Amino acid sequence: MPHPTRDQRPLDDIIEDLLNDPQYAGHPLRDALFQLWSQSREQLERLERVTHISDGFQKMAREQTTSLKQRYDRQLRKLEKAAHISDRYQDMMRDLNIALQEASTHDHLTNLANRRMLVDRLKTETQRAERQGYSYSLAMLDVDHFKQVNDQHGHDAGDQALIALARTMQAEFREYDLCGRWGGEEFLILLPQTPIDVAQHVIERVQGSIRRLTIPWDSSSLDLTVSIGLAEHRTGESFFDTVNRADDALLAAKQAGRDCYRLA
Amino acid sequence: MTTDNLSIPGTQSAPDIEADWSTGQLVMKGDSYPENTFELFGPVISWVDRFLTSGDQPLTLVLQLIYLNTSSIKAMMDIFDMLEAAHAGGRTVSVTWYYDSRNERVAELAEEFKEDCTFPFAILPRTD
Repeated sequence: MPHPTRDQRPLDDIIEDLLNDPQYAGHPLRDALFQLWSQSREQLERLERVTHISDGFQKMAREQTTSLKQRYDRQLRKLEKAAHISDRYQDMMRDLNIALQEASTHDHLTNLANRRMLVDRLKTETQRAERQGYSYSLAMLDVDHFKQVNDQHGHDAGDQALIALARTMQAEFREYDLCGRWGGEEFLILLPQTPIDVAQHVIERVQGSIRRLTIPWDSSSLDLTVSIGLAEHRTGESFFDTVNRADDALLAAKQAGRDCYRLA
Repeated sequence: MTTDNLSIPGTQSAPDIEADWSTGQLVMKGDSYPENTFELFGPVISWVDRFLTSGDQPLTLVLQLIYLNTSSIKAMMDIFDMLEAAHAGGRTVSVTWYYDSRNERVAELAEEFKEDCTFPFAILPRTD
C-alpha cells in the first residue's frame, strides 16, 4: 500500500472531514477523536474568553493610570502656578510694606527723616547713652525769615528752598548722624556719640555751606541763613529735656541776630 | 424665573461678592485672605456651576481684587477653569479685572491668571 501523500490542508478541516466521513461511523477511534475535538474547541473558546476579559482589565487599568497621571500632572501644574502667583503677591506686599515704612518715617517734601523717626532715634540714642555712657548732641535748626521767602516768592519757592536746604545738610553729615524735619522750617540734627565740642564743628560747617548755598528762583535767587541751638544730652535727662534746651539755645541764637548758633 | 442671587458683604479679609442671575454678572471686590477659603468660595463656585449648567446666558465676571492668599488664588484658578470649560463648550463668558492704576503689580498678577485662559479676559486700570 503506497504511503499516502501528507494532507496539506489545515488540521481543523482534516479532522472535520474525518468526523463527517460515514465510513468511520461507530468506529471507537472516531468517537475518541470526536471527544478530543470537542474538548479542544471548548478549551480554546474558554482561553479566548479569558484572554479577552484579561485584556479588558488591562486596558481599564492602563486607562485609569493614564487619567490618574494626567489628573495628577494637571493638579501639580496648577499648584505650581498657584505657588508662583502667591510668591509674586508676597513680593508685592513686601514692597508695599517697605514703601509704607518709608512713607511713615520720612518727610514727603524733603525726603529727610520725619518727626516720628527722629523721636524713635532719640529714644534709642538716649537709652544707648544711659547704657554705654556716651552722650549725643542735638541741634535744632531754624531757617531765618522763612516766612518772607513764602510771602515774597510763593510757597513753591519755599518748598524748593527746603528741598535744597535738606540736600545741602544731608551732604555734610556722617552716615550715623540723623537729620530730619522737625516741623515747618525747623530741622533737628542728631549726632550720636558726639560731645558738644565736636558737634560744634559739624554745626559750623553746616551753617557755612548753607550760607554759601544759592537757590535759583525765577530770574533771581534765594539766599538762606539758619539759626542753630546746640545741646548735649546729660545723663539722666529725657530726650525731651535735651530738645527743649536746644530749643532755648535756638531762641537765644535768634535773639542774637540770627545766622549763628548758641550752645545750651 | 430664577432669583438665584448671591450677596456676600466683604470684610477686611474677604472680598465683597455679588452675583446676579438675571444679568449673569458676578462681581468680586477687595482683598481675599479669609480664614476658611472653602466657606467663602464654596457658594461662589457652586453659583458659577449652577449658572453655567443651566440655560445659555453669557457669564460676566467682574473683578477688583487686590491681595489674594494662596488658597484664594487656587479658588480663582478653579473658577477660571470652569469658565474655560464652558467657553470650550460654546458658552459666552468673559472676565474684566480692574486694578488701581497706582498699583501696576496687580495688573501683572492678573496677567498670570489670564495666561491659561482663551476666553475674553480684559485687565483695565481704574483711576478713581
